[in-house]
Amino acid sequence: MPDLFANYEHGRFYDEMFSAPGKPRPHYRRLYERFGRMENMGDLLDRQRTADQTFIDRGVTFTVYSDTAGTEKIFPFDLIPRIIPAHEWAHLERGLIQRMTALNLFLKDIYTEQRILKEGIVPREMVETSKDFRPEMLGCKIARDLYVHINGSDLIRDEEGNYRVLEDNLRTPSGVSYMLENRQVMKRVFPNMLRDYRVRPIENYTNDLLNLLLHLAPQHVPEPTVVLLTPGVYNSAYFEHSFLARQMGIEIVEGSDLVVENDKVYMRRTDGLAPVHVIYRRIDDSFLDPTVFRKDSLLGVPGLVNAYRKGNVALCNPIGTGVADDKALYYYVPKIIKFYLGQDPILTNIDTYLSGNETDMKYILENLPKLVVKSVNEAGGYGMLVGPHSTQAQIEEFRAKIIANPRNFIAQPTIGLSRGPSVCDNTAIEGRHIDLRPYILNGETIKIAPGGLTRVALRKGSLVVNSSQGGGSKDTWVLNDDVTNPPVPVPEKIIV
Amino acid sequence: MLSRVANLVYWMARYLERAENTARIVDVNAQLVIDLQSRQAADDPKSWEPLVYVTGDNEKFFELHGKDVAVTERAVIEFMLFDRKNPSSLMSCVAFARENARCIRDQLSSEVWETLNTFYLKLKSDDYSRYAQIGSIEYLSRIKAQIQLFYGVADSMVPRTGLWWFFQLGRYLERADNTSRILDVKYYMLLPDIHAVGSALDMIQWASVLRSCSGFEAFRRSRRGQLNLDRVVDYLLRDDEFPRSILFSVNSAGQALAQITADAPHLDGNAACKLVTNLAAELEMIDIPAVIADGLHEFLDDVQNKISDIHQAIQVTFVEYPTAGAKVLA
Repeated sequence: MPDLFANYEHGRFYDEMFSAPGKPRPHYRRLYERFGRMENMGDLLDRQRTADQTFIDRGVTFTVYSDTAGTEKIFPFDLIPRIIPAHEWAHLERGLIQRMTALNLFLKDIYTEQRILKEGIVPREMVETSKDFRPEMLGCKIARDLYVHINGSDLIRDEEGNYRVLEDNLRTPSGVSYMLENRQVMKRVFPNMLRDYRVRPIENYTNDLLNLLLHLAPQHVPEPTVVLLTPGVYNSAYFEHSFLARQMGIEIVEGSDLVVENDKVYMRRTDGLAPVHVIYRRIDDSFLDPTVFRKDSLLGVPGLVNAYRKGNVALCNPIGTGVADDKALYYYVPKIIKFYLGQDPILTNIDTYLSGNETDMKYILENLPKLVVKSVNEAGGYGMLVGPHSTQAQIEEFRAKIIANPRNFIAQPTIGLSRGPSVCDNTAIEGRHIDLRPYILNGETIKIAPGGLTRVALRKGSLVVNSSQGGGSKDTWVLNDDVTNPPVPVPEKIIV
Repeated sequence: MLSRVANLVYWMARYLERAENTARIVDVNAQLVIDLQSRQAADDPKSWEPLVYVTGDNEKFFELHGKDVAVTERAVIEFMLFDRKNPSSLMSCVAFARENARCIRDQLSSEVWETLNTFYLKLKSDDYSRYAQIGSIEYLSRIKAQIQLFYGVADSMVPRTGLWWFFQLGRYLERADNTSRILDVKYYMLLPDIHAVGSALDMIQWASVLRSCSGFEAFRRSRRGQLNLDRVVDYLLRDDEFPRSILFSVNSAGQALAQITADAPHLDGNAACKLVTNLAAELEMIDIPAVIADGLHEFLDDVQNKISDIHQAIQVTFVEYPTAGAKVLA
């Protein structure tokens, strides 16, 4: 039998598909059989072309603005799904719910009573120097005690295959449209395999999101109006904004479409001013309201923060959530979980060193070539030093930066992210490093679409999965159960 | 619908209609020049200069080309069709229309978007040499066909919501303005040469003006009479059946306005509606021979100003209305 995996190099990392060379894990066996039936790469590449064309036809593209021709490109999509068996997902779900619960209590606490600061569990200075801490929100009552509504936590698996939290994204996490579109494309390309695998559907996400947004509306409004606030058509995530607005049947608005009169928010329609009750905003805190935050913001709405403080409009996420995904505060999340819930974290953090802490600083400076150093204020894979992949000059540059501004950096050991088989350069299937971003919704209850966005570092050897750094994505299959028998019955099926 | 979105679709329609009419204006002139060649050289500035005045872009033209430039065929074609620095050129109009469509792409079906996008992507590499190589009449008829294709697709795909009616509003208002300018081309070309009135050449020219509005055969059928100044002016100004006449366009804009405000009683009798009604009434009342005697150009100028007033009223009523005192909806 021809085998597309015959030359697959297992490597020293945790491999999602193979427990040992030539030995697929139980939940990958069916896929292994299926791909084994393919004659050669040709069949797979035909399907890859179908998938790519489907993304173009569905408009799942971003525009390259440097090119006046308005060329539209797609984010690279890898055909080989990432498969998560039911028992693993159950564990992830428990851990993510625990984390969301604790982070919500933490945010409520620091904007109201500040017990955790008074008891010295988290240093006050750490919170107050965070650039996303919003003192304007102190004492502000938030609808239904929900101080954070959406989190896109980034999870990775270490060399032993343990899922760990790399970071939280509590401001305006993006990528969920790709999670949904990837599934649509896979339904076209591998319909039978999806059915046979009994993959849990994720299509309820937009419905859950809309229900969450409606749940946040001021309670006296019988039929609340929800809008999505975008920075505009030139934003790289505009496709996602317009996709989500369309899916939920809500209006997509820009700052200039909204006005505030008597602390109430309205959108300017051709027939007059229509009241707005809930804003799913996809712009950062600092651009929301030029009368409160950045004065130069043209994206925001003057007076919005006052309307929000009076409870006349709900914002999702609320203002000031970013303080809890500050990369230095990340270090305290296990303590935060313990403090509010009295539990140990189900999903562990990556070991983290704070350069603001004297002993940690010494360790960091002595071990730079082994560590990953992150600026606490940057995202998207920018402002980062990956020690083992850096030149001496780059390391020295970071050393100087860290010494000059210790609060701005954290360091972590270089984690060998797990690898999943991926179609590489249209020629072979090779292992590439992946992560996972599930989307956690905190409304009436906490809901997590089974799966999330699996990002893959398509450059050989790269550990950076961000799309701005050569990353792509895969569909993520959470299985309904752990029965993963291949087409012929085998005795070794696993049932949990 | 959101004011911003209404304005985007209104302008998208105006740009496309303007693009089409620019093609028509260039077309009628190219044909006139062929007919005039017995008397004037093809690149006599007198043959092409009127175009930049008629479209109201003369200042822009001389700003880009310098005061003393020879107004050759090539300079005018490049300026009117291909120059991105001229915001009213065919190329600019199509690019603007596409950009607006992109901003509201989530509200357009893929067919509608793709028709416009494909047209733009093909057009953007065109230039004068391509135009000259294909030949003016053939090239321009292809352009017109592309725009007509877009209208056809839109007509069969776009739901009749506010989006559609703002599209119609922009399209017909622009057309009313543009038809008046096409009529004006004739004024610039011929008026000084009063001896030619009623001559064979005069007939050829009126026929080409009608053709540029695709109105020649329709005119022949409905008026059954001879081509002459009064009749052609009457037809293009106020035939109430011909879809490119000014009156028809103004009435269609009025119907779009009525649809837009159908569910908004507080907008009954808004300024835009009133101005449209007034202009339509005026066009129906005028005495054509008297208008020609008093100066057709001046009359058309006045019509263009009134259309511009309607545009302003639309902006103030639906888009840029002051927030304070605006109607708060339930």
